Amino acid sequence: MAQNQRPKTLLDSLGEEIIRILVPVSICMFLVVLLVSILDSNSSASVTSIAAMAYSETSSDSSWDKFLGALLNSLAFVAVVTVVTFILVLLFYLRCTKFLKIYMAFSSFVVLGFMGGEIALFLIENFSVPIDCITFLVLLFNFAVVGVLAVFMSKMAILVTQGYLILIGMLVAYWFTLLPEWTTWVLLVAMALYDLAAVLLPVGPLRLLVELAMSRDEDIPALVYEARPVIHHDSGLGDNTVQRRVWRARSNFRQDSEDNSNLNGNVVSDSNSTVGTVQSSHNGTRIARVEEEQVSERDAELSAPLIDHGRNAQDGMSAERLMLEGMGLGSSGAIKLGLGDFIFYSVLVGRAAMYDFMTVYACYLAIVAGLGITLMLLAFYQKALPALPVSIALGVLFYFLTRFLLDVFIVQCSLNLVMF
Amino acid sequence: MTVAAGIGYALVALGPSLTLFVSVISKKPFLILTLLSSTLVWLISLIILSGIWRAFLPLNSKTWWPLAILIFTSVAFQEGLRLLFWKVYKRLEDILDAFADRVSKPRLYLTDKMQIALAGGLGHGVAHAVFFCLSLLTPAFGPATYFVDRCSQIPFFLVSAIIALAFVTVHTFSMVIAFNGYSEGNKVDQVFVPSVHLAAGMMTLINFASGGCIIGIPLLFLMAILTLMHCGRMVWRRLTENQRQGNS
Repeated sequence: MAQNQRPKTLLDSLGEEIIRILVPVSICMFLVVLLVSILDSNSSASVTSIAAMAYSETSSDSSWDKFLGALLNSLAFVAVVTVVTFILVLLFYLRCTKFLKIYMAFSSFVVLGFMGGEIALFLIENFSVPIDCITFLVLLFNFAVVGVLAVFMSKMAILVTQGYLILIGMLVAYWFTLLPEWTTWVLLVAMALYDLAAVLLPVGPLRLLVELAMSRDEDIPALVYEARPVIHHDSGLGDNTVQRRVWRARSNFRQDSEDNSNLNGNVVSDSNSTVGTVQSSHNGTRIARVEEEQVSERDAELSAPLIDHGRNAQDGMSAERLMLEGMGLGSSGAIKLGLGDFIFYSVLVGRAAMYDFMTVYACYLAIVAGLGITLMLLAFYQKALPALPVSIALGVLFYFLTRFLLDVFIVQCSLNLVMF
Repeated sequence: MTVAAGIGYALVALGPSLTLFVSVISKKPFLILTLLSSTLVWLISLIILSGIWRAFLPLNSKTWWPLAILIFTSVAFQEGLRLLFWKVYKRLEDILDAFADRVSKPRLYLTDKMQIALAGGLGHGVAHAVFFCLSLLTPAFGPATYFVDRCSQIPFFLVSAIIALAFVTVHTFSMVIAFNGYSEGNKVDQVFVPSVHLAAGMMTLINFASGGCIIGIPLLFLMAILTLMHCGRMVWRRLTENQRQGNS
């Protein structure tokens, strides 16, 4: 067919990076929804965690009491997160990088080992899987150790690393969905607002972290999901067969360098809780916008996503500035997204799954739309923007709209077998 | 009735769309994005419609004309949105063509444009199937089943899955016809799409009469087949014209 000899058009390659980030986010959300629907949360699994320390909801309270209690809980949680982020900034300032790395490895181990173990126990109980303690412990220990190695030693196959990161996100998100309902929703909104403040305000801890990292030209040790870099071999640009993305921006453009830090999470230890650590590796994620820059002399790269800037470079290289992402850029040039985003998106969808599947689909679409909007906003404004607020806002809005408006409408229509 | 039955119902409604997705759409990332955005647009239109109609629900299930008005307004609204979708797509096409010129790649082929239209239509169809069928399937994964009075011969889940299958077909291919009609200025195509949508919606009203679903559902499938055939004929015509133009 003549089709095979025609050169490939834009349609084949456009938007690939967005998909490479969307797919793991979707997988994480799907796994959390699956877990939530399989393990119907029984009331005996009461979670004592830092997020519910100020008030524990009982179903007999009035709505106003529940709301106030939820508000107190979330304020307490956000306060703890802020304090710990400031401590992280301090530690980073004092160059205690080794300590941070070890701490992060330890908390991943705890998440994979203890939280993963508890969820495995729920599943074993649910499905009556015949397994004995010793085998289970050996398997669990190996699983956790491989996870820690995969996440912190970059020599592992990238699929294993990505898989483990998604698992960590899923485990933490599942634990968050065990919180009482009002607390979860208010907490999500509070974290979105905190994110907005921490990134955009000049005194925000995340902004300080970014500036520190950029002034020192260092990476922050954190839990980050890195998508595989997009490499085009048939770009049709003769000389450069591999388009590399340059991590460091051009030196004569001061503004660029702040992008280059991959901001990613910190780990918050929850010493009060019996459940273990709560990872708030979200903090870094939402910020960094990074530019992709092109090494070749030619113009725009094919992997440039939908919006193109078309600003001509002002220095010697004729490379064009392409889209700014809301997430970080890894040293190999791939898109990075911090784990906290995964976690909070999945918490929202998991909580929606506890009501009905219609809300799950609506919230999923809303979150994906929010992600897309954030990417576009970054392309337009060209400064660091947090990725959490838009998605969470849309997600919460769609949840309540679906729950109170759409549900009745659809059920009415369907039961009368009237569809359009 | 069981997990197997639940998955079966889901596949009845979404099987062909899954095939289309895996074979055509998953190869090109841009098409996946188009699908997601058109699903989102359909969802938003549903939410707006439910917001408007919330005050009138629950409807009296004895009379059929409130439902007729509901269908009419919903279809009109959605067709209006389709026009808007077309306008946005036109703008996007210009941007993409300009970008392609800049990176010295060929402009969008006719098949590319049709694929984008197909992805858009599939998004609408998948949204319909998900919200009208899949979201109500949760009880089907349990141990029992459910029958409605209107169509008491087969379980409710199966009826809704079959209707969803017909509508998925209608939505998917009418988007291709509509985009083609707008770009060519073909009046027949432009009128064909809203009328088929409206007719299909009205056919489901036939289910209202008791025992009506025996007639209603085959008629619905007739509409779906009609859409398929018209789309096939139109695509064939355009492709052969294009080929002839390319060769001459």
